[in-house]
Amino acid sequence: MDTLEPTAPAATAEAVIEVRDLCIGFGGRPVLRGFDLTVRRGENMMVLGRSGSGKSVLIKCLVGLLRPDSGSIRILGQDVLALDQEALDRLRVRIGFLFQSSALYDSMTVRENLEFPLRRHALARKPAERDARVREALANVGLEHSADLYPAELSGGMRRRIGLARTLVLAPEIVLYDEPTSGLDPITAREIVELILGLQRKYRTSSVIISHDLHVARLAANRIAVLIDGRNHAEGTYDELRAMSDPQIQRFFTSL
Amino acid sequence: MAAGTWNDARTMLAEIGGLSRFTGRFFREAFRPRFEWGELLQRSYVNGYLSFPLVGITAFIMGIVLTVQSRPTLARFGAEAMLPSMVAISVVREIAPVITALICAGKIGSSMGAELGSMRVTEQIDAMEVSGTNPFRYLAVTRIWSTVLMVPLLVVMADAIAIWACFIGVNMQRSVSWALFQQQVLDAVVFSDVVPALIKSVFFGLAIGVVGCYKGFHTEKGTAGVGQAAHSAVVTASLLVFIIDLVAVQVTGILGFN
Repeated sequence: MDTLEPTAPAATAEAVIEVRDLCIGFGGRPVLRGFDLTVRRGENMMVLGRSGSGKSVLIKCLVGLLRPDSGSIRILGQDVLALDQEALDRLRVRIGFLFQSSALYDSMTVRENLEFPLRRHALARKPAERDARVREALANVGLEHSADLYPAELSGGMRRRIGLARTLVLAPEIVLYDEPTSGLDPITAREIVELILGLQRKYRTSSVIISHDLHVARLAANRIAVLIDGRNHAEGTYDELRAMSDPQIQRFFTSL
Repeated sequence: MAAGTWNDARTMLAEIGGLSRFTGRFFREAFRPRFEWGELLQRSYVNGYLSFPLVGITAFIMGIVLTVQSRPTLARFGAEAMLPSMVAISVVREIAPVITALICAGKIGSSMGAELGSMRVTEQIDAMEVSGTNPFRYLAVTRIWSTVLMVPLLVVMADAIAIWACFIGVNMQRSVSWALFQQQVLDAVVFSDVVPALIKSVFFGLAIGVVGCYKGFHTEKGTAGVGQAAHSAVVTASLLVFIIDLVAVQVTGILGFN
């Protein structure tokens, strides 16, 4: 029996991510067609959708890696699309991003990977202070003894954890997870979900979790938005969605 | 067939446009703080210092080969005494800059294309960007600066080694003192030989750096794309070296340096 469950956000928690009428396409093919999303502080919001439905495109828009054709994105009260490069970089420090591929810098050791953002943003100038933050981040993901390894020496699950540690080292207020459990065995996937929930509890982070895995949705998400045909087709808790009679929603559950 | 040619032409024009925009962005960002001194030093070590053995050995061989092969022709005209002057001028004006640039296009251009291409397809460049670090400034500007600075330095070293090799080549058949050899070289090589060659070396370095970074940053289609980026970086950079050389010859001619 699963004992994992997300921490509920405060009833009065403010919105930290507001996406309105987001549209983007590639080569004349629309991917997002008026997508809306609101994420409150301390909430784990999962965006569920089939492969190729535009989930990764959505979170890349959130951090400014892709520019939408139209719509608006407000994160932590700032209009992402109106920010200049420096302001966007300052905002990005407050947003963590866990890539599906982990995207660790393979020419650096784990320690250097974690120190890199700290050095860049001069957040821990003294070596002892940097070391403490690196240790804490590694302890959070249970890999304290991996500091001197290179990414090539890590397993898939370890790489995902180190990627998460590198995200956490900047103490972000929001974390975006791109398919955090894809390609992992069920036990490692569950460990990653435990980490996501642990971080939500410990740091009160808000999260957007992109996945097509309903099992992750059930364990990690406070609410789920279902992305179909480029729109937020339906939104609710796992149980609310399961109770819906909409055949497009039910297809996700019957495929379990 | 006509459609294929038109598509090729469009691809080439798009490539030229992309390279031009990338170069423009380099100039916009190259002189603005924050300067990445640590990364620049690291890249200069990799692109400059680690290229020195290859450039040095090639320059040494070129110096000897040029000397040995030129000797019979000069001897036929009774001008064997001109050998040091002729080799020195050839090396300084043309051979050392072009050969060094071609070696750097192969070694540095391909390594940049492959390294940055690999970073692109594994989302490392995106990871850098979302962590609030400007990857263009951190990765591209430092690498381009390193080739702009290191290629002329390597050319100067290649000049010195090739001329020294020429001295050895001259002494394989005749005995010429270093003092006399040096005097002949210094009498022959003048300001208008050295400076234009160094200036074009700066442009060679710029072309190699820009092409390597551009190809790496625009890598697509996974690991196959990485190989393609490395290959394409070498071909484009080598071609640009010859085009810049051709333009440099015309410009120095117009300015009266030839």
